[in-house]
Amino acid sequence: MTLRRMLSRTGQLTLVLWAAATFNFALPHLAPGDPVDFKYSGVSGSLSKEHLEIIRTEYGLDRPLLQQYGSFWRGLAQGDLGKSVQHNRPVVEVLAERAPWTVALVGLATVLSAVVGVALGATAAWRRGSRRDAGLVMGVLALDAMPGFWIGMILLAVFSVELGWLPSFGGASIGTAGVERSVDVLRRLILPVATIALATLGAVFLLARAAMVSVLDEPFVRLARAKGVSERRIAVRHVLRNALLPVFTNLTLSVGMLLSGAVVVETVFAYPGLGRLIYEAVVARDYPLLQGAFLLVTLGVVLANLAADLTYPWLDPRVRRGKNLLPAAAQTVEA
Amino acid sequence: MAMLALVVGACTNGSQSQMTADGQPVERLTIAVPEDVGPLNIFASHEEPLTELVYDKLLGPSPYVDDPQPWLASEVRQLDPATWEVDLRDGVTWHDGETFTAADVVFTFEFFKAAPTGRWTHHVSDIPTIETVEAVDDNTVRFTCADACPFLGSVTLADLPIVAEHVWSDVPADQVREVTDLPVGTGPYRLVEYDSVSGYRFEAYENYFAGPPLVQELVMPVIEDPSATFTALRTGEIQATSRPLAPELIAEFASSDDIELITTRPLQFPELRMNFERPPFDVPEFRRAISRALDRAELLDAVFLGEGRRADKGYPHPDAAWTNPDLSTPFDAAEASSLLDELGYEDTDGDSVREGPAGPLRFTIQVAATEPTDVRAAELIRADLAEIGISADVQTKDAASIGELFRSRDFDLYINTITAHGVADPTQFIMSHRSGYLWKAPDMPYPQWDALFEQWSAATTIADRTKTLFEMQELFNSQPTSVPLYYPDEYHAYRAGTFDGWVESPGSGVVHKWSLLPPEVGRDANAVVTGE
Repeated sequence: MTLRRMLSRTGQLTLVLWAAATFNFALPHLAPGDPVDFKYSGVSGSLSKEHLEIIRTEYGLDRPLLQQYGSFWRGLAQGDLGKSVQHNRPVVEVLAERAPWTVALVGLATVLSAVVGVALGATAAWRRGSRRDAGLVMGVLALDAMPGFWIGMILLAVFSVELGWLPSFGGASIGTAGVERSVDVLRRLILPVATIALATLGAVFLLARAAMVSVLDEPFVRLARAKGVSERRIAVRHVLRNALLPVFTNLTLSVGMLLSGAVVVETVFAYPGLGRLIYEAVVARDYPLLQGAFLLVTLGVVLANLAADLTYPWLDPRVRRGKNLLPAAAQTVEA
Repeated sequence: MAMLALVVGACTNGSQSQMTADGQPVERLTIAVPEDVGPLNIFASHEEPLTELVYDKLLGPSPYVDDPQPWLASEVRQLDPATWEVDLRDGVTWHDGETFTAADVVFTFEFFKAAPTGRWTHHVSDIPTIETVEAVDDNTVRFTCADACPFLGSVTLADLPIVAEHVWSDVPADQVREVTDLPVGTGPYRLVEYDSVSGYRFEAYENYFAGPPLVQELVMPVIEDPSATFTALRTGEIQATSRPLAPELIAEFASSDDIELITTRPLQFPELRMNFERPPFDVPEFRRAISRALDRAELLDAVFLGEGRRADKGYPHPDAAWTNPDLSTPFDAAEASSLLDELGYEDTDGDSVREGPAGPLRFTIQVAATEPTDVRAAELIRADLAEIGISADVQTKDAASIGELFRSRDFDLYINTITAHGVADPTQFIMSHRSGYLWKAPDMPYPQWDALFEQWSAATTIADRTKTLFEMQELFNSQPTSVPLYYPDEYHAYRAGTFDGWVESPGSGVVHKWSLLPPEVGRDANAVVTGE
């Protein structure tokens, strides 16, 4: 990628980031209700209007929206995302507390889903048309049709309720430390990671299988066979390596969504991730926290896109050399 | 002036019950709670069962019983209609070892005025207005109200947690919500660990004045999802939860060998709220017609599977100590129709919907999409109203939007659940008429109510105020702005064998400090439902 193209791409992404951040700021304000009312008024005892106004002033929520928008950007420039009304703590602190849990959960699930999905997809493609291929396609499609929460509930029923092997909720037990805590955290990760991995396996499998099948028909595969290259080497070095390109793109982009968490799975397993935090912030109309969380998610997506753009040429020499990858027929049509 | 004296019961140093099957004290219990309320800073947010593990009140257990007993107090006296004196219990210490004194009580009441919480503010600055709180000596505090305050003992002193002066005095009143240090109370448990990821961990306070608690350590993870909560109970990862069972789960859990159930009568109910500021709900007879049109038996049976009682005794809760026992709000569709006839609403175009001067009677019932029982209730109410010629659409919204309706007033009808503080505290019924919840007195005209309020304010004894309160409740239920839908029963499930000391405390379910103290302590404090 040339320097000019990189600068242009970075400029585009900055623009996207600004637009997304602006929407993220505006959207929570459009919903009825406000965080101070949610937390401090109600039949069980409401603060007086005067006191509610004092609290709104503390959080800067009494000012016109444009002024709040200005403060939002000024704070952002200094790394200050404001203070969560619900948690009474800086938004950065709340997000930093939850982000590692989500990164661990969704990150591990993405890796697991990718490894298993690619392995099964490659196996199915290599033996396309066989009973094994048909069985794998049917099995994975059936799994893909199940909602994530359903898979989670089945895993819970089997591994927690019936067998009692794994814990059913939470990210960590309070009062644990050191090795005991690490083991506890890992044990509590197993079921939610497995749930997300199983729920997303289908897409990776189908993509990997389709890419493999497509590459298997390429002339260079026939040439390799004609040259006497072993089947294993053809599969791994030639076919799989080329077929992984679209899978890699797909995974890079899904890593961008990593920070938005997995609300449903986090709810089923009472897991302390960002997805559940965002849901709670929506319910409580916690504007500062919502703005911060949305910004984090947006940043994740934008950076993942940028990473995909920047890394693709390293994986595919044809892109690095600036060659047009479209088939000749398509080039003619485009021209 | 007659003196009201409440003398401390024999609730100190009770013998510790042996609660496990093998006769040993319980070392650890894991109890799921449904909400993260932070590090129990009561000026920022609160969840009463948790707060009361750490803090104590002058009288216990709460304003939801008819006769709260001295707790941090040893004796409470009403000197004249507006003056009370409280002797404090000796030998009480804060969790950090400091001695509890009259100065802490004085500071607490002054601090609640300076740093309003919403939850407790009105009990010191409105109903009643406490003018002065002074320490008579190290062990005695005198309260002086602006007007007669006969309920000060049984409501205010039984409701406000006492905080430590040496902990809070350096905190500016406008910064109290930002305190995230772990709390220091006098209660039976010390909160020793909290984080928003894993929840709460409490340790028994061995020097507790009422004797050591029965369980050494309480671990309380936050599990917001009901399904996840009861899965954890099935697996044995938690031994109890403060969340009651949904009606459809009762039979399944009742048949389990590992689970025990306790039935309680919570002081709360779902209610249909009417916007009394918007025509035609500003007409008393119209509101009465709506109330009469609701088939309470059907609501109870279809929505809550019959697990409770029909709501034909109106508002507040019939089990509350301060509710008129003669209230009656029966289902009577014929009376509802005739009330609408008398108001001049008729179906003139044959579409089964009555019309009035402002057009057809078409309304919207708003309900939280996250509450399936409320959505079902709204559908039944729609059918009931259709029977008397009123058309109502059911509109589901997220919970925050429903909560916002209290402030925005942008509703015709909506369904809400009101808890013990709203329907079992005798002064909250008055406050709710002033806060905009049940009425907006004195801003909105309501001469009958105003006359009764004058009468109530002038009364100087609990008996006289209760008599007037009963009249207010009669008046309210004849033209209600809130209609209870059913009075639910609750079923609390816990793992059998680990700890079997769970008891019901009025308005608090079974997970509260009284379950965790020796049984005689709760009984002497009038804090538990004994079934006697």
